[in-house]
Amino acid sequence: MRRKNTKTTLLGVLALAFVGQFAVSQGYLLGFWRKNYSPGGIVANNLDPSQLALSLFGFREFLAGMLWVRADSFFDQGNYDAVLPIIRLCTILDPKQIDVYATGMWHIGYNFTDEEQRSDRRYIPSALALGKEGARQNPNTYEMFFETGWMWYHKVDDDYGQAVKWFEEAAKREDILPARRNLLWSAYQKAGRPDESLNYLYDLYDRAKGRLKDDQQFGNRQQYDTIENNLDTMLVRMVQRGWVAQHSEEGKKNNWYANGAYDTKPPFDVGFSAKVTVLSDRVLRVEGTWNVLPVGTRIRIVLRDADYPQAKMAELDWDSSDSVNLDPPRNLTFMQDQLFVRNRHFNRKIDMSKDPTMYPFIAKNYLVEFYYNPRSAPPHIQDKFGFNGEGFTDKNFLRTDVRETIQFKPAKFDDHKFPIEFEQIPLKDIPQRVMYTTLSLTQEQIRRKGEWSDKTPVVKTVNYVESTDSKDKDDVIYIPNLRVSGTGDAKAPAEAPKK
Amino acid sequence: MGAILSISTTTVGEAIRRRVLLVILMIGVLLISIVPALSVLSARSDLTTTISSMLFVLRIVSVLIAIVLTVYMIPNEIERRTIYTILSKPVQRWQFLVGKYLGAVLALGLMIGLMAGVMLILFYFFKHPPMERMLDLLRQAILYFIEVSLLAAVAIFFSTFVTPLVNFFLSAGVWGVGSLLNPLYDSFANNQGSAPIIRGMAKFVTSILPNFSNYDVKNPIINPGVTIQNETTYYLGTAGYGLLYITILIIAGILIFDRREV
Repeated sequence: MRRKNTKTTLLGVLALAFVGQFAVSQGYLLGFWRKNYSPGGIVANNLDPSQLALSLFGFREFLAGMLWVRADSFFDQGNYDAVLPIIRLCTILDPKQIDVYATGMWHIGYNFTDEEQRSDRRYIPSALALGKEGARQNPNTYEMFFETGWMWYHKVDDDYGQAVKWFEEAAKREDILPARRNLLWSAYQKAGRPDESLNYLYDLYDRAKGRLKDDQQFGNRQQYDTIENNLDTMLVRMVQRGWVAQHSEEGKKNNWYANGAYDTKPPFDVGFSAKVTVLSDRVLRVEGTWNVLPVGTRIRIVLRDADYPQAKMAELDWDSSDSVNLDPPRNLTFMQDQLFVRNRHFNRKIDMSKDPTMYPFIAKNYLVEFYYNPRSAPPHIQDKFGFNGEGFTDKNFLRTDVRETIQFKPAKFDDHKFPIEFEQIPLKDIPQRVMYTTLSLTQEQIRRKGEWSDKTPVVKTVNYVESTDSKDKDDVIYIPNLRVSGTGDAKAPAEAPKK
Repeated sequence: MGAILSISTTTVGEAIRRRVLLVILMIGVLLISIVPALSVLSARSDLTTTISSMLFVLRIVSVLIAIVLTVYMIPNEIERRTIYTILSKPVQRWQFLVGKYLGAVLALGLMIGLMAGVMLILFYFFKHPPMERMLDLLRQAILYFIEVSLLAAVAIFFSTFVTPLVNFFLSAGVWGVGSLLNPLYDSFANNQGSAPIIRGMAKFVTSILPNFSNYDVKNPIINPGVTIQNETTYYLGTAGYGLLYITILIIAGILIFDRREV
C-alpha cells in the first residue's frame, strides 16, 4: 500500500515538474533566448544541409570564427574572389560579427578593380545591401550605420542625402566615437544643407566643450579645437558663398544677394567640351576642356549599356537591392572613372581591354556620360561654385534636373529600433546645378568591328574645338595667382596654355 | 542521506580513476591551451576567434565526458555484480540511483572546473581582457555545467533500461536534438515562408525534449556591445528549468529502475 502511494506521489511530482518545465521554457526562456542570445538571421534558407546541421548545434559562432580565419589567409594571398562566399557564410552563421560585415562591405565595395584600379561599381549595390543587413542585425551599435554612411559618403561620393541618413542613425547610437560623430556635419554640407550643418556643428561644439571641461586630456582638447575651427570656417563660407544672403529671412527681405558682392557672383561658365576617340578595341581616349585653372577638378565619366536596368543619370541606382548578390551582372557593362583637369583641359586614355569580364560590351548601344557636381568639389573650388552650384554654370550643359536634393526621415521602425522605412522629402528650394551631357557609341565602334575595324570612331560634343596645344605641356600644372581673385575665374598666367 | 553521500563520493573517486575520462579531459585542456595561438591567424578579430574556439572546446569536451561517464555507471555495477553488495545493505534503489547521479555531477563539476580554470587563466594571460569579459566566460562555463548535469540525468535515465552502447547514441542524439531546439525554432520563426506544420512541430518538440540550447548564451560574449536586461532572472530561470527536468528524468529513472530485475 505504502509502495503504491509512493509511486503515485512520484508520478504526481513528475507530472508537476513536466508542466513546470513547459511553463518556464515556453513562457519565458525561449522568448528571452531568441531576443538576447540568438545569433539571429535565417540560416535555414541560406546554408546547405551539412552547414545547417553544424550551425544549428550551437556552434555557429565557432564556425564563423574559423571561416573568418580562413578568409584572412585568402586576403593575404590576394584571392579576393574566394573571400566573398566566406564573408556571406560568416554573416549568415553569426550576424552579430560586425567586423565581418564592415570588412566584407569594404571588400565588396572597394577591392574589385580592373587593371587600372577602377572599381567594379556593379558590386556597390551588394556592398550597400550588406551594410543595410549588418545594421539591421546590429541595431544597437553605431558601427554598421556609420560604415554604410561612409560607403555613400566616400565611395558613391554623390547622393549625399543617403550619407546623411545613415550618419544620423549612427549618431543616435550611444556608443559612437566622438571623431566619427563629427563626420555628419560635412555630410550635411555636401548634401547642400549648410543650415543643418551649422546647427550640428554647434551641437558638436557644445559636446566637445563639455568633454573638455570634464577631462583636459589632449584628445579632448584636439577635438574641441578642430570643431571650433570647422565652425569658424563654416560661418565664413556661409557668408562668403552668399548662403546667408540667399536663405536667411533678413537676407531675402533686403535682397542682400542681389546687392552684395559674394564669391559665387556671377556664376562662372566652366565651358565643358569633350571628344571621345576609340583608339582600339575597348580603348578610349577622352579629351576636352574645363575652363577652371585651380587644380582639383575631377569630372565623372561613365560608359554603360544604353539600357542598363538600374541606370540613372551618371550613376546606378545604388540603393536598388536589399539582398546581397555576390555575383554582379556579368552581361552588363558599367565603367565609371574620373577625368582630372589640368591647365583647363583633360586628356585621359581609358583602357578596358585587359578586363573583358568587367567590360563585356555585349549590348549594342552605349552611353558615355559626363557629370560634374559642385557638391563633390574640393572647398577651394566650392568657394566659387557655392554649396549647390549657385556660382557655377555651363553655357551648354548646365542641368538642374539630374539630381534632386532629398531629405530622408525615418518613418517606421522594427522591434529593435531599426528604421525599416524612410520618408523621402524632396527639398525643392535647394536645386542642384550640375554639368551633365552624354555621347553615344555603338558596340561595333567600341570593339572596332565591322565598318569600324579600319576607321577610328570619334564622337564629340557640339562645342568641341580641336586644340593646337602641344601635349607635353600637360606635365606642368599652372597655379593661378591668388591675388587676382583666387577663384576659378582667375586669369591664367601668360605662359598657361590657352584653348 | 548518508547512503547517498557515500555512493556519490565513491562515484567521484571511480570517475577520477577512469583513464578514458582523463584522456578526454587532457585533450580538452590541451585544445583550450592551443586556442590563443590559433587566434593570431585572424588579426582582425582575434578575441572573437579565441572566445568562440575556447567555448566550443569546453562545450564539446564537457558533453563527451558527461556521456562517457554516465552511460556505463549503472550497467557496470550490474555487470560486475557490485550492485548486489550495495543493495544488500540498507540502501534503497532510489538512493543508489540518486547517489550515482550526484557523484556524476560532482565529477563533472571537477572536470569542467579544471577546463574552465585553464581557459580563464590563459584568456587573461594572453588577451588581458577587462574583468566583465572574464565574468562573462565564467557565467557561460557555469551554464555549460548545468547543461551537462541535465545531460547526465538523461544518460542515467536511459542507463536504467538500455545497454551502454545504445545509451551513448541515445544520449548524444537527445543532446543533439536538444541543442537544435532554440536555433531551429528561431530560424523557423524568423522565416515566414516555412510551412505552419513544420513550425508547429518545432514548437511541439521544443516543449517535450530537454532544451540544451537554453544554456548557450555565448553570442553576446563573443560579440559584446549589447546590453541585456534582467539577465540574472534568465540565469535563475535556466537553472530552475534544468532542475525541473533533472527531477523528471531522475524520478522516471527511479520508477523504471525500481521495477527492473538486477
